[in-house]
Formats: sequence, C-alpha cells, structure tokens
Amino acid sequence: MQYPEPIARLVDSFMKLPGIGPKTAVRLAFFAVDMNEDDVMDFARSLVDVKRKLVYCSECQNISDHDPCSVCDDSSRDHSIICVVQDPKDVVALEKMRDYHGVYHVLHGVISPMDGIGPEDIKVAELIRRLEDEQVKEIILATNPTVEGEATAMYISRLVKPIGVKTSRIAHGLPVGGDLEYADEVTLSKALEGRREL
Amino acid sequence: MKLESIELAHYRNYDSLQLSFSSSVNVFLGENAQGKTNLLEAIYVLAIAKSPRTTHDKDLIQWEQDYGKIKGRITRHGQSIPLELTISGKGKKAKANHIEKRRLSDYIGLCNVVMFAPEDLNLVKGSPSVRRRFIDMELGQIAPVYMHHLGDYQKVLQQRNALLRKSVGKAPADTTFLDILTDRLISLASEIVKRRLIFVAQLNEWAAPIQKEISHGMEHLSIVYESSVPEVLDKADSSKIEEAFRHSYERLKKRELDRGTTLFGPHRDELRFFVNDKDVQAFGSQGQQRTTALSVKLAEIELINHEVGEYPILLLDDVLSELDDIRKTHLLGVFQEKVQTFVTTTSVDGLDHALLDRSQLFYIHQGQIKCDG
Repeated sequence: MQYPEPIARLVDSFMKLPGIGPKTAVRLAFFAVDMNEDDVMDFARSLVDVKRKLVYCSECQNISDHDPCSVCDDSSRDHSIICVVQDPKDVVALEKMRDYHGVYHVLHGVISPMDGIGPEDIKVAELIRRLEDEQVKEIILATNPTVEGEATAMYISRLVKPIGVKTSRIAHGLPVGGDLEYADEVTLSKALEGRREL
Repeated sequence: MKLESIELAHYRNYDSLQLSFSSSVNVFLGENAQGKTNLLEAIYVLAIAKSPRTTHDKDLIQWEQDYGKIKGRITRHGQSIPLELTISGKGKKAKANHIEKRRLSDYIGLCNVVMFAPEDLNLVKGSPSVRRRFIDMELGQIAPVYMHHLGDYQKVLQQRNALLRKSVGKAPADTTFLDILTDRLISLASEIVKRRLIFVAQLNEWAAPIQKEISHGMEHLSIVYESSVPEVLDKADSSKIEEAFRHSYERLKKRELDRGTTLFGPHRDELRFFVNDKDVQAFGSQGQQRTTALSVKLAEIELINHEVGEYPILLLDDVLSELDDIRKTHLLGVFQEKVQTFVTTTSVDGLDHALLDRSQLFYIHQGQIKCDG
C-alpha cells in the first residue's frame, strides 16, 4: 500500500535534510500527523522565515535578520580588523569568546576543486572589495586547519599581499587545559613547530 | 622480545589450550586443516589485536561461544609482562600487566611481531602499489607523523588533479590556486620522500647481508627507490629535495596542463629489487624472487630492533614449502638465538638436524597438541 499523498510528500521533504534517510523520514512524518496544530504551524512558519526573513549582511556576508548585521552595525567594534571564517557557525563560536572586538567576513565555504568549488564560488571578491577601504589594517585568516582550509587561507593571503594589508593566520596546537600525554602526535609536532620564546 | 607461554580459551578450533614455548625455534607440525595457522594467528592477535586473515573479530571466537580469550606472557626488556586479550560480540578488551588499557593503541606495540606468509611473496611479484603500501605501512608504525603527511598529500593531490582536469584545453586562467596546491604538494612530497629514502637505505643495509647468508654468498641484493623525479635521490635534506622537485616541476608544468593530471610525486614512485645487478621482478628466478621477499621481510626485523631496541617475534606461516632446503635451513639459522621464531609446516623433511635439535616441536592433530623436543 502507498502512503496517502500528504504523508508521502512530507516524507520526501524530510529526506532532503542531511542525515535523514527513508526510515527516519517516515517516522518523522507520522510524528507530525500526531502533533497539535499550533506546533505544526509554528514549525512551518519557522521554516519559511529562515528563508524569507534572513538576509546576507552586505558587509560581512554573514546571515542576519537585518542588513547590515548587528556586528557590522556596532560602532563600538574595531572595523580595522577583519576575521575571515568559513561558516556563520564559526562566527558564533568566536563571539562566545567575548574577547574579539573586530569584525568578520564569512566566506561560506572553502576552495575545493574536487567538489567543484572555485574561488569565484565563495565570498572572496567581496572580501577584497572591503579591503579597498583604507580603514582596514589587518585580516586574520581563521579557516579550519584542514588541507582545503589552509589552501584557501594561502590563496587569500596572496591576493591581499599587493593591497598591503597585514595578514595573519590563527595558530594551531594544544587545547588549553588538556594533558600533553593525550595529544596526538601530529598536534604535538605542530605545537612544537609553533613554539614561542618566553 | 620473547613469548614465554600462551593460553587460549574458545579461540577458533581451540576450546582450551596451554603451551610453553622455547625461546629459539618453535615448530608447529601437522597435516592441513588441523589448526597450525590458528595458533600462529593467535600469537599475532595477542600482539596486534587484529587478525591478518580476517577483518571480522567474531570469526576468531569458537563456534557457539560468546567470547574468545588469548592470554600470554612475554618478556620485554628483561621484564615479564602478562598480556590478555578478550574478544566478544561487544568488542575487544586488552589488559597488560593486569591493567586494562582503554585505548588499543596503548596496548599494541608492547609485543612486536613480524609475520611472513605466502602472500608476502607478492612484494616482489606484485604491482608497484603493493610495494608502496609496504613502505607506507612500515614507516607508519615507526613514524606516526609520516601517516599524517601521507594523508594530507593524498588530499592535496586529489584537489590538484581535479583542478588540472578542469583546466585541460582552456587558456591558463588564474593560476594562483594551482600554485598554492603545487607548493603544498611539493613540501609534503619532500617530507615523504625524505623519510622513504632513509627507510630504503636502512632496509638495504640489513637486507643485503641476509640475502647473502640465505643464498650462500651467491646473491647480492640491492633495493633501489625509483622516483618520478630521479634528481631527488641523492639529496639528504628536505630543502634540497624540495628544490629538485621544484626544478622538475618547471619542466613538467606544460605537460601537466595538457594531460590534466599531476605527473610527479611519491604516489608515482616505486621500489626495485636487484640481485647481482639484475632486476628480480623481470629477470629473477622464482627462487630468487622468494628469497628477496624473505630478505626484505627479515630486514624489517632488524629495523624494528633498531627502533624498539629489541627483536620482534617472527611468525612464519607455511613459507617453508615455498623454499628449497638450503634457503629453509638458512632462514631459520639467520637469527640464531636472537629472534624467537614460530613456524608452521606439514613436514620436517629438509630441516637439518642441528636446527631440529634446538627446536621445540609441537604435533598438532585436530586441535590437540603433543609437545616433543
């Protein structure tokens, strides 16, 4: 027997989400049948709002509910330092620190020819345009320490060089509060490589 | 490193078994399908916590039992240590010196073993990838950072190949990103090649005398690392290697853009074995190919001794049938008292008396064992 059409369509929609296969999708769809109507309406509205009410900040390219975003709009922040990250999630992580007072630039990905992502597919051009503003003194490249993240950071640093803005890369090494003996060999060797004089 | 004794419970065809071993040669003798290799495998599993024959740990447990257990007592740097490995449906539990090790990687390495089985003969006869894997596996055990470099290298290589493939037949556009990948590729390639060259030099140093010994002084073995960029071979430090790579890249640049793939680097390199200056893979006899594979494997033993400070345990699975009498006896004589050896064979014919005198024999028949010697 086939599922009634509304359920079948919902199953199909759930399966578009990452990590959800046919079985989970069916389970979720039948759960939705039993949910009370207000919750369902809220859920549907949230989904639509995510699409309709969110905009990309014209400054930093981060997702936000208004343009410019709250960080770029904040005049107490230091607009001469830009921290370049891969994802909006990274901005949230860095903001938790409460110690960074510069602004951000979100690339929305890293360059990966294997996945068909070239420099033109991420927000590099927008970053370069921002640097033409004389106000910017330094950019901090905070892409992930993966092969692609490192290569993207290198790429941006080469583009920025002729503009003459100071470019730095975040350090990698041991986690704070961790035990040396539990660190893996590669992290340890990176930490040794990046040692500092005291 | 010596294995003093082993105790099996519900392991393969052994319900329960207790054996004490000689510190020199132990011979497991018996017809086919009696459990000789299972015993050898148990020693391997006790050391590595993984079977060379199967990836399903459940296969190691005796039929209709919930768990299998291997206990052993080893001497390591003069200290006697009990090891225990329990395999159940829930996974593996390892204890060393009665203390449970939460990470298997803390357990593996306490007891070093080297196994030689008939399929290891592929090292000489097989494709270049078999030999590259051999280098990578051995180096990975000695230098974990090597594995990391290798993993990164493969990723950069894939990215670079994808980029080159895309730009085939097009006018070279912005090459900034290609240059970055090339830089990264070359610096990783240099690290990898540097480690490999040191490894091959060490291997050579040890394999040549072994081959000579086995062949009664008739065969001189040399192992040669063959690189896609031959200029790197006589360089000792990674900056010189990097320079050589860069130099040859300038030469290959145009062809790479035409063909759309990376044309240099350790992923195209290869090991070659020469006996008396003749390439063994192409011109060597079956016997020479076997001896070569054996010498390389035995050189690995010296390498571990060099790195760990103690000889590993040698496990020879059914390789005696692959070798003639002279090679057989010499193989077992090479290490004399230094390396504890375990051998499986169907017959002692062809083993010389002096050797048999210092061997402990175990007759295996349908999972029952009789000691003699």
